[in-house]
Amino acid sequence: MIRKKIGVILLFVLLISFGAQAQRVTSMRINEVLVINEDNFVDDYGKRSGWIELYNSSAGTVNIGGCFLTNDKNNPKKYPIPKGDVLTKISPRQHILFWADGRAEKGTFHMNFTLDPSKENYIALYDTDGKTLVDEIIIPANQIVDKSYGRTVDGQDEWGVLAKVTPSTNNLTLDTNERIDNFRQNDPVGIGMTVTAMVVVFLGLILLYVIFKQIGKASVSASKRRAQKASGVTVETESTEISGEVLAAIGAALYELDEDVHDIENTVLTIQKVKRNYSPWSSKIYGLRELPRK
Amino acid sequence: MQESFLSFLGENLQLFLTYTGFYNATPGHIIMILIGLVFIYLAIRYEFEPMLLIPIGFGMLIGNIPFKDAGLQVGIYEEGSVLNILYQGVTQGWYPPLIFLGIGAMTDFSALISNPKLMLIGASAQFGIFGAYIIALQMGFEPNQAGAIGIIGGADGPTAIFLSSKLAPNLMGAIAVSAYSYMALVPIIQPPFMRLLTTKKERVIRMKPPRVVSSTEKIVFPIVGLLLTCFLVPSGLPLLGMLFFGNLLKESGVTRRLAETARGPLIDTITILLGVTVGASTQATQFLTVSSIKIFGLGALSFVIATCAGILFVKFFNLFLKDDNKINPLIGNSGVSAVPDSARISQTVGLEYDPSNYLLMHAMGPNVAGVIGSAVAAGILLGFLV
Repeated sequence: MIRKKIGVILLFVLLISFGAQAQRVTSMRINEVLVINEDNFVDDYGKRSGWIELYNSSAGTVNIGGCFLTNDKNNPKKYPIPKGDVLTKISPRQHILFWADGRAEKGTFHMNFTLDPSKENYIALYDTDGKTLVDEIIIPANQIVDKSYGRTVDGQDEWGVLAKVTPSTNNLTLDTNERIDNFRQNDPVGIGMTVTAMVVVFLGLILLYVIFKQIGKASVSASKRRAQKASGVTVETESTEISGEVLAAIGAALYELDEDVHDIENTVLTIQKVKRNYSPWSSKIYGLRELPRK
Repeated sequence: MQESFLSFLGENLQLFLTYTGFYNATPGHIIMILIGLVFIYLAIRYEFEPMLLIPIGFGMLIGNIPFKDAGLQVGIYEEGSVLNILYQGVTQGWYPPLIFLGIGAMTDFSALISNPKLMLIGASAQFGIFGAYIIALQMGFEPNQAGAIGIIGGADGPTAIFLSSKLAPNLMGAIAVSAYSYMALVPIIQPPFMRLLTTKKERVIRMKPPRVVSSTEKIVFPIVGLLLTCFLVPSGLPLLGMLFFGNLLKESGVTRRLAETARGPLIDTITILLGVTVGASTQATQFLTVSSIKIFGLGALSFVIATCAGILFVKFFNLFLKDDNKINPLIGNSGVSAVPDSARISQTVGLEYDPSNYLLMHAMGPNVAGVIGSAVAAGILLGFLV
């Protein structure tokens, strides 16, 4: 019994830790970087500088307070992201921007290093221990002015110069629904959808049919075996079936009963029997106050 | 002093008048209120799906009380209003899965398990959805709108609301009202087509009595059903997951309290909230459009197609079955969900031609298969068109 309980607790802990893993810093990604900012996004102080966008690719909120950002492979703890700032809690599928202006005194989102336009820039995000690498990227040298380098789709592996600079928002924005457009162009009559969907619906229910046909056969033979074992007699065919007429008659009777039972009839007074089970809560003995003792 | 007070009083009364429903009423409001009253009348007088038509009908009255937009946060479309908060369950799509939980907890799949070939009838009736989809496309609807309209043919209110809230939220009111209206009208829509498509000989076919289903089979069904259907169509997970979960609560035998809550207080609560908010969402400006009229027409058509597809499939299927194993085509109509009304119609029409041929139990098989089939179909449409 104790083992069973320990097993259940362990399983529970395991499940929770797996669930928690998805919402840890490991799901953060470096998503977009602007190295040369001449006529682009400005910070809260009205200044322009390079920036790094992080993206929470998980379905849970992640707190990046205590993690580290760096542009130096040999110094993973170069910029510690301050703890205790509510803004470091990143909502699911949301972005956060860090300014590479070398002015950490300006606030949580201003780092103590800058990006160098003349050479490759190494950027990395480390977990709170300063040892576990969460994500890293090398931004090629000779970046275009006011053009950002990022993942073509948020959180995915492919990097390149983005068509639009998208600070704190999706790298890929869609003006239309590609799937609907696809159906509009390739299946204007709807035959394709109909055939596909009906095949899938039939497939699903045929699979269920096949499986339950087999389960049914196994169940019938098992019940026959059990019946034979219990009676100790070999019975060739023992019907366990109730005829449809009987079932339908029972069903119809219950339905009729359900529909017809009522206590309001024209000019007829009906009295429903009320049966109350005994309970100490409703007992008169406990409800009555004792007489004062003389 | 007295004069200025009187003028102040007069201005106030005039201002108050501009806030009243009488001042703000439009013909659209009146028409919608009348439609709501018709729903309530049908529910009380003829008992057409009263559990749904009364909340929807009364919701229509609530949603169409005219008022001045003065930031009072009373309308269903005003963010933060009570009705708007309750309506989130519809727009975010979390009422329908909870209803499916209750349906699962009250559905007995025995008829289907004992004769699993009846599942195929449930599959064939889904042609109603895609038949309506094809026609809706021809009428100029976008593919996502056509998908949302087509699902009316699944004869499953929660599925229709769930899918339309994802695919075409602006049409949801009309789709929901259309779906529930036709579900209530199933006893009128289906019988003529059942008679038209069957011969006298076919209507008196006696089916083999269903065998007794063991509790193990009943327990295995929701587990296998979930794994199989959701591996095939993961986008159907919210509906199918809750349907089979509810059924496992019922059949496991060890979670009686949970099953009773799911099929009792929970489903009742959600039905009230769903009905009244869907009704309230049908405001005249949103509802009284040409699209709504087209949706009502397509809805009726989808029910007819689904009914005919189910019956014709049974006739086709019978070609491959032995004489003692044939299926009465009168149960083909119950492949549309509308549990248990369409199964009752099979029984009623069947008894007209053979007073001792009870089809109810047989019809329940395709009927519950229709619930699974329409949820799978909704998952497919969702997967393709979102």
